Amino acid sequence: MVFFRSEDLARTWCASHGVPLRPLVRLDQLWALATTWYSTRLEEHSRRPKPQEMRGIFAGLGLEGEFWDPRSDRFG
Amino acid sequence: MDTETQVKLAVYRHFAETGRRPEPGAVASRAGVSVDRVLEAYQGLRAQRLLALESDGASIRMAPPFSGVETQHRVEAGSVSYFANCAWDALGIPAALQVPGVVHSRCEQSREPLVLDVGLGGPAPSGWLFHCLVPAAKWWDDIVFT
Repeated sequence: MVFFRSEDLARTWCASHGVPLRPLVRLDQLWALATTWYSTRLEEHSRRPKPQEMRGIFAGLGLEGEFWDPRSDRFG
Repeated sequence: MDTETQVKLAVYRHFAETGRRPEPGAVASRAGVSVDRVLEAYQGLRAQRLLALESDGASIRMAPPFSGVETQHRVEAGSVSYFANCAWDALGIPAALQVPGVVHSRCEQSREPLVLDVGLGGPAPSGWLFHCLVPAAKWWDDIVFT
């Protein structure tokens, strides 16, 4: 999970590494993910979102499709 | 409060205060339990995806968003310097601490430095982008690679 200065630079990196370009996420979207995941992390009852919750979080940010589907991201 | 929760809070509060990973003995002292109980709790926290451990089962590689080792994603917040596991976690550290911070990272292709001010309401407007190579369903198959 890394940063790129632009979509073109992300495309260049992916091509040079022989990997597919994945959906690019804006920093305002990333902030929403970061706060959803971590804003209560230092508290007693904090926990990581479960897969079903993750689906809703991603969809709420417009991050949909196979890539963002955590269906087999099982716990344990 | 159960032991696992005590250990979780001890680990995370140590990271928050120091920016570095705690040794099991320090966690034991803080949580008021034995080192054996700490290591047992680590396994439960790993299963909850709240810790990733080194192969010795005792050293913390990740307590997301905090990294137990140096990375290319550094965050300055207050008077403490932190390492994040990835770009997502770089924003996750100010979010977890609920304080403003500055993220220091880079463009993976051009190596241009990124210096990003992150306030309580999020990062300053920016055209930088986040990219994740691994599909969500596979993130924890190898979380260090992800």
